[in-house]
Amino acid sequence: MKAAAGIDIGSTTAKCVLLRGKDIIGRSLNPVGVNIVRDAEEALRLALQDARLDRSEVGFVTGTGYGRFKISFGQLTVTEISCHAKGAHFLFPGTRLVIDIGGQDTKAIRVNERGEVADFAMNDKCAAGTGRFLDVCAGALGYDVAEIGPISMEARHPVKVTSTCTVFAESEVTSHVSRGKDPKDILAGLHASIANRTLSLLQRVGIEPEVTFTGGVSRNEGMVRALSARLGLPVNVSPLSQYMGAIGAALAGQERLDGGVAS
Amino acid sequence: MITCGLDLGSGLIKGALLEDGRKLLATASRPTKGNATQSGQLVIDALAEEQNLMTGDIAYLCTTGFGRYMFPTRQLQVSDITSSARGAVFLRPGTRHVLDVGAQSSRAISVSEKGKVLKFKMNEKCAAGAGRFVERCSKYLQVPLEEMSSKALTAEKPKLISSVCAVLAETEIINNVAEEVPLADILMGVYLSLAQRAYALMRYVSIQPEITLVGGLVHSAAMVKAVEQTTKLKVNAVPEAHFAAAIGAGLLGHQRALKLARGGGVAA
Repeated sequence: MKAAAGIDIGSTTAKCVLLRGKDIIGRSLNPVGVNIVRDAEEALRLALQDARLDRSEVGFVTGTGYGRFKISFGQLTVTEISCHAKGAHFLFPGTRLVIDIGGQDTKAIRVNERGEVADFAMNDKCAAGTGRFLDVCAGALGYDVAEIGPISMEARHPVKVTSTCTVFAESEVTSHVSRGKDPKDILAGLHASIANRTLSLLQRVGIEPEVTFTGGVSRNEGMVRALSARLGLPVNVSPLSQYMGAIGAALAGQERLDGGVAS
Repeated sequence: MITCGLDLGSGLIKGALLEDGRKLLATASRPTKGNATQSGQLVIDALAEEQNLMTGDIAYLCTTGFGRYMFPTRQLQVSDITSSARGAVFLRPGTRHVLDVGAQSSRAISVSEKGKVLKFKMNEKCAAGAGRFVERCSKYLQVPLEEMSSKALTAEKPKLISSVCAVLAETEIINNVAEEVPLADILMGVYLSLAQRAYALMRYVSIQPEITLVGGLVHSAAMVKAVEQTTKLKVNAVPEAHFAAAIGAGLLGHQRALKLARGGGVAA
């Protein structure tokens, strides 16, 4: 049986997942630079290496994500909205709402019991409420974005961050620091601010359990907790949540392979 | 009678000294650093010194701007919208539309011939469309702030920016640099992007000539050109317009002082 590859070219990273039947047999994640065509090739090469698979074993390649049209060797492109819905449904079949917070956009996707998109809302115009917001604000505090989640969870007196705009929030962070606020408390405030922004997006499509959190920012435990607290609902997070788009893309390819489309 | 207007902005504190509400005597500014009261006092001292006055010679002090409540010895405070409108009409009596692009916010104001505000629209939630955007670009493109405008004016094919957000625009600009778009074209694109954001505000309040630009970007010829190109109208940009809000505050202070002297009105 041939494998299906799903490649998700995001704003920050390229993800590739290899699927054979219902099994994820390989995956990769690499940074996206200026040459997206090359980054996509690299993603597939790394996933093949991870699966110890030869390129000829791949029967179908599907691209998704904002850079999907730059994948020169794929047979199909699917929007990341469909892919996240499909991927979330695959890992958590009870999913009815997907929150995808990526490097520079945020999406709320309502899905039906078959994992199809019923409705969606997105913010891709503004960095507020996206991974970029955390990135910039973490930088202003001298942290790496990867470490701030757990630190924010140690806060005792979360600070209220009032600026919506990332640029203004960065100055607000600096002024909280100069007033002697604890970085933990500032970080907690930043996470709460994103949770608030996300909630208003989720309300536009309707909130219904189960809720599955995907995208790079779902790797941040502090964000998972802040969102869950704001929603008053548990939130599903898979260790593969960052690969959700790529998984969905691979699943779309797998369907084509099952439907008898030759490579 | 000498009155003083003090505009406590987020980037700079500007002051203007006026005589009898008719003559602009002096202007001065200092960066807003730490304590707004101290920085504001420095501006007043500089103005007094330049005119050989004692602080006591200033009959009335009116504050405006984002920090207008932070200056305890003020006698009156007015909103920056009211004061910019009044100041712009003082500098250019034909003004019917004021565009104020400040460090952290921007506003479009339509005004009557007497300088009264008819309608306004402002953006203070988002850094795109504010002077901060130019400051950030200057930083990551490593072009000194004071050279941004002159470099932009040499653009041959301005590279428009599609992102509305200042942070996302940053990525776009860096990609443009990587694709070897000439620096001047990128810089002019930055000003055109600001002008487009301003145009959206301006249309909301209806655009009528003359348009007068006030605030920190009046010194930027590239900004003036970008607004003219976007609105297809001539734009007044006089250097004193950087102090329009302070001038307007000084004028409004004079008006209030006269009213008080006549026994009318109540102290603010």
